Amino acid sequence: MDRLLRVNMTDRTAKFEPIPSAYASRAGRWLTSSLVHDEVPATCHPLGPRNKVVFSPGFVTGTAAPTSSRISVGGKSPLTGGIKEANAGTGWGRRLARLGIRAVVVEGQPERDGGFWMLKIDAKGVSFEPADALTGKKLSEMVPGLAARYGGRDKVDVCAIGVAGEHKMGAAGVCFTDREGRATRYAGRGGLGAALGSKGLKAIVVDDSGAAEVPIADKAKFDQGRKKLAAALGEHAITKPKGALNAYGTAVLVNILNEAGGLPTRNFRSGRFEGATKIAGEAIFAGNKERVGKDVYNHPCSPGCIIGCSNTWHKRDGSEHTSCIEYESDWAFGANCGIDDLDQIAELNLLCNEYGLDTIEIGGTLAVAAEGGVWKFGDGKRAIELVREIADATPLGRILGNGALVTGRAFGVTRVPHVKGQNMPAYEPRAIKGIGMTYAVSTMGADHTSGYTIAPEILGVSGKLDPLNPQKTDLARNFQYATAFIDSTGHCLFIAFAILDIASGFEGVVEECAGVLGTDWTMNDVARIGKAVLDLELDFNRQAGFTAADDRLPEFMLHEKLPPHDGVWDVPDEEIDRVFD
Amino acid sequence: MVRVHLYGKLRRFAAEADPRAESVAEVAHRPGDTVGTVVARLGVPLAELGANVFVDGKYADLASPVEDGARLGLFPDDMQLLYKWYFRPKADPK
Repeated sequence: MDRLLRVNMTDRTAKFEPIPSAYASRAGRWLTSSLVHDEVPATCHPLGPRNKVVFSPGFVTGTAAPTSSRISVGGKSPLTGGIKEANAGTGWGRRLARLGIRAVVVEGQPERDGGFWMLKIDAKGVSFEPADALTGKKLSEMVPGLAARYGGRDKVDVCAIGVAGEHKMGAAGVCFTDREGRATRYAGRGGLGAALGSKGLKAIVVDDSGAAEVPIADKAKFDQGRKKLAAALGEHAITKPKGALNAYGTAVLVNILNEAGGLPTRNFRSGRFEGATKIAGEAIFAGNKERVGKDVYNHPCSPGCIIGCSNTWHKRDGSEHTSCIEYESDWAFGANCGIDDLDQIAELNLLCNEYGLDTIEIGGTLAVAAEGGVWKFGDGKRAIELVREIADATPLGRILGNGALVTGRAFGVTRVPHVKGQNMPAYEPRAIKGIGMTYAVSTMGADHTSGYTIAPEILGVSGKLDPLNPQKTDLARNFQYATAFIDSTGHCLFIAFAILDIASGFEGVVEECAGVLGTDWTMNDVARIGKAVLDLELDFNRQAGFTAADDRLPEFMLHEKLPPHDGVWDVPDEEIDRVFD
Repeated sequence: MVRVHLYGKLRRFAAEADPRAESVAEVAHRPGDTVGTVVARLGVPLAELGANVFVDGKYADLASPVEDGARLGLFPDDMQLLYKWYFRPKADPK
């Protein structure tokens, strides 16, 4: 029987509750957004006692469904002031699901600054333990020791915040252990690490020893679905073993976006970076081969993933420097900061993992800081010092740790590429109008993952996909519905590469979910479920005070031409406002 | 002259094939050139070409015209990623 674990940080109590019947078939993002919508006052301070941080594994997380170990984390975002769902690939949510825990709701706040605590969840129950000794440390120093204390990485996975979360910074993410026990997988965006920090919760260790298998209502339907999905992932050129993601990682996109003139460079001043080929996925693969002496293919970040897109970067002596240099992180510290040195990019990535910071927000923040004269674009050594300063929580470090918008205000920078206070990721909206529309209307602030997935033909959206054509209304809406569905399944968004080309793969995903839950869902339910999720999130944001005026791209993009296409953001406001009408 | 920027396994059609560098092949322009005719002259097998083809940074397909002085960007079939859904050619019946 699935349960909800309610953790009260005011009095440090925890209790299990049955899942309310209204939530019977909700999980992942659908459940985190439901709980945040229904239980968190939208006008509350995100760092105050009335905010909650909610964790939920997806419908099929913990089962044999391939590439399905995502954990959704929700709450009111300290960065945007709106609703937030961020998710990560890790065994942590898988263990939670196997313990029959569909959601963990962390609420309340110590009445006085009572130090930090950690939570241990296992088959016997829940316990609180003092965690002051875990604070102030790099996550790679703290997390493996903590895991070892409870039986090691084969037995437990760890969720933790870094020093950025302890200091309640808006760019603080929530870190989870990867399949090898590295503290490197992030529900990164929106500052949910700060929300946990405000509650004095430093870490949650989950041990699923003795847990039963995740119950599956209709095993035949589930098996049929997972086999269809596995076949699609195994045969598609992007997701198959040694395919594009396994060989080059997501950073293969650096060259593609650069060629398309949509790779934001030096705080969104150009769509092309002259150093792109030096930092792209191909360069990572070639550099590793040179330093390690063999082809280094990527690895799964979490148990059960058959795509394996997570990379490592190696030092000159062949030892591992950091994992993982995602496209977004590579771009954020590379093109967007004018840095073309992979070793410096790796160090910046490593430091964000150590301190519990969102790489996209910090790369964007550094770029805004360079615009404001704090440092010079391309000076990787200085960028590294600045990120260290965030961990030291100096006044400058605290400004940077609170993200691009705060940094822009502090240094008088008007060119801050954000929506709703969240810095834009690695796709230039003036070159790719569809993603600009997603940034504008996303309930999450500027976010590429909230509408990046679904082939128009699958949802029956008609044509007009010229990227420079501004009519993107239906596309933006339907992309976001489909994404919200996938974010609720527990699957990684990257299954989309395969299931959009291979229709039986998408059917398989729906059958897996219906099989686990015992529902009669078909492909026709995808948009319905996605809409239900979005409607909750939109309603929360309305109650929080957001209006159409917040669904806008920054002013400079309306008039500043972006090379090489010299485009401006010219999608009419009325068209943006029609997306969710 | 058309400058063709090549990526992944297609870099072998340029003199510089190091994946950390720019692999650019220069192809003499002929009147009426399209992506298809330039690709054919370069010798790139169509089976290895993906959906991510750019002419001067704009998404293109084999029928797209190529002017003298253009920059052509060619990615192989195993390097197209999700991005192609933003750029599906209008002529594509799918």
